[in-house]
Amino acid sequence: MWITIINLLLLGLLWGGVYLLMATGLNLIYGVMKVVNLAHGDMIIVGGLLAFTLFSAHGISPIIAFPLAAALLFVIGVVVQFVILERIPVKGSLGELRTLLATFGLSYVIANTSFLIWGSQFQSLPFLQGSVQLGRIALPQALVAASVLAFCAALVLHLWLTYTMLGKSVRATAQSGLGAACCGLNSRLIRVITFGVGAALAGAAGSLVITLIPFQTTASGELTIQAFTIIALGGLGNYMGALIAAEILGIVEVFTQYYLGSNPASAAIYVIFIAVLIFRPQGLFGKVGRV
Amino acid sequence: MLSSYNGRFSPRLIAGAMLLAATSLGSVQAAPANIKVGLSITQTGPYSPPAIFELRGYQLAIDEINQSGGLLGRKLDLIKYDDQGNPSTAVQLYQKLLTDDKVDLLVSPYQTDLTAAVAPIVNRAKKVMPSLAANVENYSGKYPYLVQAITQTPQYMTPALDLAASKGYKTVALLIQNTQFPIQLAGGIEDEAKKLGMKIVFKESYDPSTTDFSALVLKAGNLHPDVIVGATYLADAEGIVRAAKSQNVGAKMFAFSIGPVEPEFHKSLGAAANGIFGTTLYFPSLKTKGNAEFVKAFQAKFNVAPDYHAAVAYASMKLFGKAVTQVGSLDQTKIRDAFLKLSEDTVVGHFKLSPTGLQTGYRSYVLQWQDGKQVLVWPTEDAQAAPVLPHGGWK
Repeated sequence: MWITIINLLLLGLLWGGVYLLMATGLNLIYGVMKVVNLAHGDMIIVGGLLAFTLFSAHGISPIIAFPLAAALLFVIGVVVQFVILERIPVKGSLGELRTLLATFGLSYVIANTSFLIWGSQFQSLPFLQGSVQLGRIALPQALVAASVLAFCAALVLHLWLTYTMLGKSVRATAQSGLGAACCGLNSRLIRVITFGVGAALAGAAGSLVITLIPFQTTASGELTIQAFTIIALGGLGNYMGALIAAEILGIVEVFTQYYLGSNPASAAIYVIFIAVLIFRPQGLFGKVGRV
Repeated sequence: MLSSYNGRFSPRLIAGAMLLAATSLGSVQAAPANIKVGLSITQTGPYSPPAIFELRGYQLAIDEINQSGGLLGRKLDLIKYDDQGNPSTAVQLYQKLLTDDKVDLLVSPYQTDLTAAVAPIVNRAKKVMPSLAANVENYSGKYPYLVQAITQTPQYMTPALDLAASKGYKTVALLIQNTQFPIQLAGGIEDEAKKLGMKIVFKESYDPSTTDFSALVLKAGNLHPDVIVGATYLADAEGIVRAAKSQNVGAKMFAFSIGPVEPEFHKSLGAAANGIFGTTLYFPSLKTKGNAEFVKAFQAKFNVAPDYHAAVAYASMKLFGKAVTQVGSLDQTKIRDAFLKLSEDTVVGHFKLSPTGLQTGYRSYVLQWQDGKQVLVWPTEDAQAAPVLPHGGWK
């Protein structure tokens, strides 16, 4: 019995890492610009399908596709922010709603463009499908790899935000756009880069996750909702919070699926989310009031 | 008397004019209008790949009928709309086909859910529709104008279980997706297992949005079943195989309803797909009536081999033509009755209906991925190769 519990715990922790990777980009964008990127799930899927095409048509491993997907989505993110979102007035009470509607429309555009390119069939690729044997426990290789890469990416992001000039500028802009501008920072450039990095993280996540879960061009809604639930649970814009929330999601889902069945597992995270919103609406690590 | 008539228009002139008018009226009468065949099909959206194969099957059949002179001396026109896989959209489109386009013949959309949604309005309009919905509740007498042109759901996996029983396998773990088709299929699997003396040691259903099957497969594997069976579609079949391989959960046989029949199964799983069994209602290698020509024509027109969706659609349209020709008119009730009396060999197999329109003739077959190719392995009289059993384990 203990073996099973340890097995499930490890699986949950690993899946938590993957969920974190899928949510980090959204967290960065919301934290800095208060923009809810509803096209987040679509960006993940584009990254994944790009990795699929590179693998099935050219035999390129997902390890190499990982930075390529990140680069492509960075460019797309930069273009989106510069061309679309910068033109939208964000002042006033309707500001967030406007950008939300814009990303909602963007989601449809990206999803349908992907449909024209890749069709609507579920796609995945065979990579690292074996198991990592730890005594009596067998863990999926692809999951271990994705989780390790996810934690590396989160660490790199943290280092970038804490120790580099550009990263500190991003955090400054997140704290106060006006204050940052007063200090001479180019807020527009910061926002453009941030959206690009957020999109790049989504694309990179997609290129890894497609080895675990089949992707389909119209299935982005689920991914966006899951990512948003994680960052809201952890406290919007808070990276440690997102990590804890992602791990909670991973562990709860795996244990619930094993002991209560798959249907309760799908509902479990939302039950927790509702409970948190009732008792601690700012999320586990969020600050009360307007950030 | 005629010759002494003094009016401007002599009777001879009038008679001549009327004769001329009568003959010219006959020649300016328009050629008979084309017969309109209508449907909505899922051209975009998550379930479009199999639906597009269905559409192609219909199109090929209509082309062939038109090339041999059409029906009742009239050519067929196909009027199609995209329902995007949405039942309420399909209902609106069928309403449009009935009231605006005033189609003469209706054929079925893709998938049980959509067919069930449009069944009431089609039946109310008293239009016969050969339907490609596998679930049986549509053909229990509630909608007498629907006839089933595809194998019934509960029979889909019967041959796979027969194969397992023939190898002496006794215990089964059953994983079921929580949607209409798999749930009804699971009922059929349980009935067949009981008949064969096999025991269902594990039975669990899961939400269609489930992406991670690690815990579920681990739980099933702990009971060491002989056979792991999935009432699935493509994504979940892949997920279950992945979870089994990556956690080293073995069994003597893995079989899934829908999943292995699609080429993406192998594309996504690579070598892990080899040895996995799937179900299909049709295979290009079958020696059914007209199949070789059908495969050749389909390949030539669409540059891809037909799958079972294309085959059932093609057969249903061809039989529709046959029923209409037998009746000699577009009387829907008479055509429906003709369908119920049909006992025909088609590319899919033998078409025969029960008195309420349920398909009793069509069957299903078992395929297995061997060395990166789909091979028909059961029943033996239709098999291209022997099934590879037991499963070789995950290397």
